[in-house]
Amino acid sequence: MEVLLNFLIYGLVQSAFLSLVAIGFSLTYGISRLPNFAHGALYILAGFLIWNGLNVWKIGYLPSVILAIVLTALIGYSLYYGIIIRVRGMEVSEVIATFAFSFVIVELLRYFGLFGLSYTLPPFLRGSLEFAGVVLDYQRLIVIISTVALVAFLYFFTHYTKIGLAFRAIAQDEQVAMMLGIDSDKVAALSLAFGSALAALAAAIWIPVSQLASESALEILLYALVVSILGGLGSVTGVIVASLIIGYAQVFTASFIAPHYQMIVALVAIIILLLTKPSGIFGKQKELEERV
Amino acid sequence: MGKWKLLVALVLAAFIIGCAQQAAKPKEEEKKAEVEPIVIGLPLPINFPDGYAPYRGAVLAAEEINAKGGINVGGVKRPIKIEVVDTRDLEPGVPISEALAAVEKLILEKKVHVLVGGPARSEAALATLDIIAKYKVPWIVSCGVLTPAFHKRIEENYDKYKYAFRLNAHAVWLAKENVDILEKLREKYGFNKVYVMVQDVEHARKFGEVIAKMLEEKGWKVVGFDRYPTGTTDFSSGLLKAKSEDADILLIQMDMPETMTLIKQWADLKVPALPIGFIRAAQEQKAWEATEGKVNYFIVSAGAFTGNAPSNATEWTMKFYNAYTKRWGTPPQGHGTSASYMAIYVVADAIERAGSLDPDKIVKALEETDMMGVFGRIRFDPKSHQVILADDPKEGAVTCWFQWQDGKRVTIYPPSIAEGEIKLPPWMLEKAKR
Repeated sequence: MEVLLNFLIYGLVQSAFLSLVAIGFSLTYGISRLPNFAHGALYILAGFLIWNGLNVWKIGYLPSVILAIVLTALIGYSLYYGIIIRVRGMEVSEVIATFAFSFVIVELLRYFGLFGLSYTLPPFLRGSLEFAGVVLDYQRLIVIISTVALVAFLYFFTHYTKIGLAFRAIAQDEQVAMMLGIDSDKVAALSLAFGSALAALAAAIWIPVSQLASESALEILLYALVVSILGGLGSVTGVIVASLIIGYAQVFTASFIAPHYQMIVALVAIIILLLTKPSGIFGKQKELEERV
Repeated sequence: MGKWKLLVALVLAAFIIGCAQQAAKPKEEEKKAEVEPIVIGLPLPINFPDGYAPYRGAVLAAEEINAKGGINVGGVKRPIKIEVVDTRDLEPGVPISEALAAVEKLILEKKVHVLVGGPARSEAALATLDIIAKYKVPWIVSCGVLTPAFHKRIEENYDKYKYAFRLNAHAVWLAKENVDILEKLREKYGFNKVYVMVQDVEHARKFGEVIAKMLEEKGWKVVGFDRYPTGTTDFSSGLLKAKSEDADILLIQMDMPETMTLIKQWADLKVPALPIGFIRAAQEQKAWEATEGKVNYFIVSAGAFTGNAPSNATEWTMKFYNAYTKRWGTPPQGHGTSASYMAIYVVADAIERAGSLDPDKIVKALEETDMMGVFGRIRFDPKSHQVILADDPKEGAVTCWFQWQDGKRVTIYPPSIAEGEIKLPPWMLEKAKR
């Protein structure tokens, strides 16, 4: 009973974590077809900015988080106008450019000594709850609540705000949106800034229960990619569903089979999906080709 | 005549000065040659704590020796010059050839007289043996490289590999010590169930398997054996299993950053099993702050030799610990820091006794090394070139195991240098009474 309850609770935590790290990546791609392979590096960079805010600049937790989100968003925005705009439309070049940018961030963090096993962030709330022998700390509870709140916010943002509607317009038909006066480059830059800000938010919420190491940048990117591909690139609903599938599958594997297979589960899911429905569960990009 | 005398005097003076300059010239050149530094190369994964901390240790030793005039080579004091090249051997996905290229660069471009440090990964170090044999450069491994295959290979083919030495412990020795600590806990508390949690990489798996086997032979029950891949975000299911199987000990072998999550979850879940092992994330002083004290009660190998954590093993130990802390603004961290510090002293001592930079003479002098250092008496086995390990610093090099106790790393093993007893977390006290 204890093991089953642990599986249910920690499966939900793992799913929430996957949603958090993937949602920014998926959203940026969904709006502007921009694969931001620097997503994992921006996540780590935001973590180090928060750490610096707390330990070096000593400005307090909330201001550090806000500052990190704003700065990471600005970096995302600058990334578009500084680099991406030159290769816009060539997806392979966009992948290479953002991936290279990711290495620049990670190597810079290493250069300044911000790597290794000595960095983490404190939890927002200390302490834990216990249900029938299963202990859940408050921070993991915050992860679940934050993810639900974030999904609700994104729904209202994209349906009821001017900029959110512009995002959706560009996502639905870029040329028509441009004819209606929406600046495609501006929206793409904003979407990249928005996705980067979400990476920073994910870092602020998740790092307190894990670790802050530049080595983790690629792992975060891998999780974001796996979830986004499974759910269908650009679909928020897809991200949620894919996160639940992979999150529960991983915890099931760790709890009832063997922990060392848990990373394979996510990759096997991708292989199965690519063989059966390459556009992902809720993806639309390749539907036409699939039909043909 | 007066004018002629003056002219002759000037010509003579010019001649004498010219001669004097000519005479002085070779002396200056000779002087220049005399003070040419002794170049010590450090092939290290410099972007990792197991690379930059040994580098700092070696630099500190070189600075100390240089402050006293340098190394006396046949009556002439020559300063040490440190050259470092990144081996990248701890980075995932980087082939061993990168580390080998770094070693060759030091030998061919930097013209090193001796190599100290890494590469840190065993596979890279084993491959480096052949490069060393080719170029005949004395090399003291002082960080990483825990495989016993290293010194066995030297012993089996002494003539070829005699230029390589290891100033570090090896996996078999560390496993023996790990088992010894657990046996002491069994004697004291009656503990006999162990749950193994290792990182899913070759060295950690092997380490876990060897220790589990040794424990089973001594009557312990291994109630679980989990392997965790890099990227693991949750250890609760394994910890819960350890709890439900009533494990007394959590044997952990991990060097991935994710271990931080394991440490925090162990404390949050109050798992009644004492964690022990080679736990990279728990080795450094910073771990206390990073885990908000949740690392309390973890028993950790301090990265092979003593000196990385405070200890009074020898009169050198705290001298090194304090000097390092003062020089670098942080206590010694990383694997092989004190060993790399001592390796420079060992090299200096050997060169002084050899009175030459001839590699064969240095090797012979290294084989005859017998000096005290940060972690005890330093002598090399004449055949395998493995530093002689011991439980007592008067006899050989001692490793260090410490337990986190209220923010301090208290040495608990080996008994000859222990400064405290192993403590149990409050949620294990009932179990200990049983």
